[in-house]
Amino acid sequence: MHHVTLDQWSRGASALHRRDPRVKIVSVLVFLVVLATAHRELAWLGAALFTVLLVAAWRARLPLAGALARAGVVLPFTAVFALVSCLAGDPARGAALAMKSYLSALAVLLLVSTTPLPLLLRGFEMTGAPRFLLMVAQFLYRYLFVISEEAQHMRKAALARGATMGGLAGSRARFRAAAGALAVLFARSYARAGEIHWAMLARGFPGYFRPLIDLHFHRGDVMFLVLGVLTPVTLRILIERLA
Amino acid sequence: MHIPDGFLSTPVWASLDAAAAPAVGYVVRVAQRGFDDSKVPLLGVMGAFVFAAQMINFPVGIGTSGHLVGGALLACTLGPAAACVVMSAILAIQALVFQDGGILALGANVINMAILGVLAGYLPYHLWGRSRGRCAAIFAGGALSVAVSALMALAELLISGVRMPAAVLEVSLGLFLVSALIEGAITMTVMGALEAIQPNFVRQPAAGGRYALVAAGLAAVLLAAGGVVFASTAPDGIEQLARQTGISARARTLISTPFKDYEASWLGAGWPAQAGAGLVGLALVGGVCVLIGRKR
Repeated sequence: MHHVTLDQWSRGASALHRRDPRVKIVSVLVFLVVLATAHRELAWLGAALFTVLLVAAWRARLPLAGALARAGVVLPFTAVFALVSCLAGDPARGAALAMKSYLSALAVLLLVSTTPLPLLLRGFEMTGAPRFLLMVAQFLYRYLFVISEEAQHMRKAALARGATMGGLAGSRARFRAAAGALAVLFARSYARAGEIHWAMLARGFPGYFRPLIDLHFHRGDVMFLVLGVLTPVTLRILIERLA
Repeated sequence: MHIPDGFLSTPVWASLDAAAAPAVGYVVRVAQRGFDDSKVPLLGVMGAFVFAAQMINFPVGIGTSGHLVGGALLACTLGPAAACVVMSAILAIQALVFQDGGILALGANVINMAILGVLAGYLPYHLWGRSRGRCAAIFAGGALSVAVSALMALAELLISGVRMPAAVLEVSLGLFLVSALIEGAITMTVMGALEAIQPNFVRQPAAGGRYALVAAGLAAVLLAAGGVVFASTAPDGIEQLARQTGISARARTLISTPFKDYEASWLGAGWPAQAGAGLVGLALVGGVCVLIGRKR
């Protein structure tokens, strides 16, 4: 599964993994803004920024081919619009769409695959995102695997009882059966949430997650921040001046 | 309909991010009202449920299948504010972990699906959920939530200048209509099944008019419908339309702000000036969010 691999990658020990999540978030945001607001010399800028991401992925000791392929999940959606742009007689815009969306996805992928999600969400607290929302997101991620597995079991059980998608006969009955399965999944998830809450109360939940490690800025973090902010900005200024 | 980064023009994503931040702050605050700890695991697990629900296929025709999107279902079971929070959390996880939707475009996606989509999905249930037309209201809610989200996304893409020939536009509008009807049918059937299992799961709509909610829901529907009509008349994006009608020339003399054209003119020209204006705007939005999110 996609997210399982990402989770494994994010627990590496490279210099990039050890950086404070906050400096990585700021660097990625700057990268995204520099890319999103660019209109001139897109080919050169794209190549330069792609090189920056490749170097970062190599430094983070991520499997390069795997990372490049995973960022490609945006391409099917993008390809449709790029094609439509080409048909409308604007191939340059189509190419720009594909380049920008792919590089943005790759940058976010690098951030997520070098930072475990709980740490990343704590980093986002700094940006002023509501803590309640982040706690909900963290629970969501934690139970994603559990509830998905339950859904898969139900699907397998339904297939074992002869449920199929094909054919026209009994289509209405099958629709209702699927709705019933979904309602059962809803009820089970609801009940599970109640049990989780009791378990949390039993362990003295204070209303927020107690972090086990405090975040501290080190000298490496400051250097990374300067590098991460200046590299894309300088590259863009240079490319636009030279062109 | 998750918009990736790189599709929206800077004014569009920036203003939608600026709109999404206080909106999310507000729904979080409403969802937390009468806060008890049990809501955190509940909302989180229900978010995971919506993810997992995509694995259960509904037969919708010869050999094809659809799945639940979930905005209206969550709004009718958890309440509109909680549903907005759950959908926002889902979009954040999708953008980060699954590269489904961009980070800069997160504001746009949140506005489309988590705020306007959920509000539009709750509106019919709120208005007619107690009357005899209850089932029809749930159906309409499911359909409206998907239709509003999709139309908003389409309008934003068109305004950003993504070109779309008329034929493609018609086909995509047709597809939106079909998927909206499918979502309506799924939501209605699942709600029926839920009530059969445990009637408590389904929230009764609050008696009496909560005018703010109705107004927000109506605004969502009108905005989406109006947005597409407006955007589709501007094939080269909003600037072209402005040029044709001469609005831009007049607007510039009428409204001379320190940040006109999204540039801070006192910073010189070019993109550093745009970035400067953006940062000032960001600081303003941040201030608003801090005010909204302040503990009472």
